[in-house]
Amino acid sequence: MSLYANVVATASRLLPTSEFDVDDQGVTSHHWLWPEKAELIYGTLASVIIVGLLVWKAGPLAKKAFADRTAKVQAELDEAAQAQADADAEAARIRQALGDIEAERQRLLAEADEQAKALLADGRARLQAEIAELEAKADADIAAAATRAADELRFEISRLAAAAADRVVEASLDEATQQRLIEDYIAKVGASAS
Amino acid sequence: MSNDTRIDGYARGLFEVARAEGTLDEVEDELFRFARLYEGSEELRNALTNELIPPAKRQAIVEDLLGGKATPTTVQLISMVVGSGHARDLPAIVDRMVQRAAASKDLALAEVRSAVPLTQDQQDRLKAALANATGKNVDLKVVVDPSVLGGLVATVGDTVIDGTVRTHLDQLKSRL
Repeated sequence: MSLYANVVATASRLLPTSEFDVDDQGVTSHHWLWPEKAELIYGTLASVIIVGLLVWKAGPLAKKAFADRTAKVQAELDEAAQAQADADAEAARIRQALGDIEAERQRLLAEADEQAKALLADGRARLQAEIAELEAKADADIAAAATRAADELRFEISRLAAAAADRVVEASLDEATQQRLIEDYIAKVGASAS
Repeated sequence: MSNDTRIDGYARGLFEVARAEGTLDEVEDELFRFARLYEGSEELRNALTNELIPPAKRQAIVEDLLGGKATPTTVQLISMVVGSGHARDLPAIVDRMVQRAAASKDLALAEVRSAVPLTQDQQDRLKAALANATGKNVDLKVVVDPSVLGGLVATVGDTVIDGTVRTHLDQLKSRL
């Protein structure tokens, strides 16, 4: 049985019954709002006792609970603050890192630009050298081909001229010419002494 | 036996036989002309050097070719060389024999190539001219060689006197 129920039961035994209208319907108060006087007194007393007990017994617990709660909240706040600080530090570090990355990126880009420029210049130089070499080779080939063609033409002309000379000479070598050549030879040899 | 020794041996044999027969001039002249004929005819060379033709048959070819056109000594000498299987060396043997014959007469062999035959008068005058030019009495051997086209070329020992149209044309070609 609860404390309140015990108080009510005790008060019922100690208080005179005239305070209540007891009928077969049970106990009925005289005012729709206010309880009976004794009930009010005992109720108030009981409430005070209960409140006192509560303050006496539950107060420290509640206070401790509140203190713990406060400490926990404070710890959470501290933790949040620390987390905030850590996050800020991390953010700062990340920002720093981002700055470093950006600087590195810039450095790499600059370096890549330099290398690209160097490669481009080197490639251009080599290309120009190759072009010059190819042009020189082409010029030499053309000159050689021209020389070869000229030589072939000269050879062909010589061959044709020689063949023509053969035919002309053979056609002109009649008997009289043969005899004249023989006589000229004899005369020439006879005129030359050893 | 080296080929040169063999050629020299045959040349000496031919020379001695011809001299013993007393027909050296005639035989050496006929041998010389036959050698030039041999050089100029691929068909004759093939016939006389063909190992598949029996030696007797090759000798018969020689006798058929020269019979009545050359002295019996010449025919027999050529037949002997061909029958012994040395027809390939015949020009060299004959040249060596002719040189030997010329030397025996204290003459230098003068081989003259002409596109047309020379008259006897031309040969005499040419012989005199060559003697004048070389300082040696020469034994003239004339070869008719149409390839020279015209003029003459004479070879006396190591001396060559070239007045052929062919040589002039070749020089012209070289200049061209």
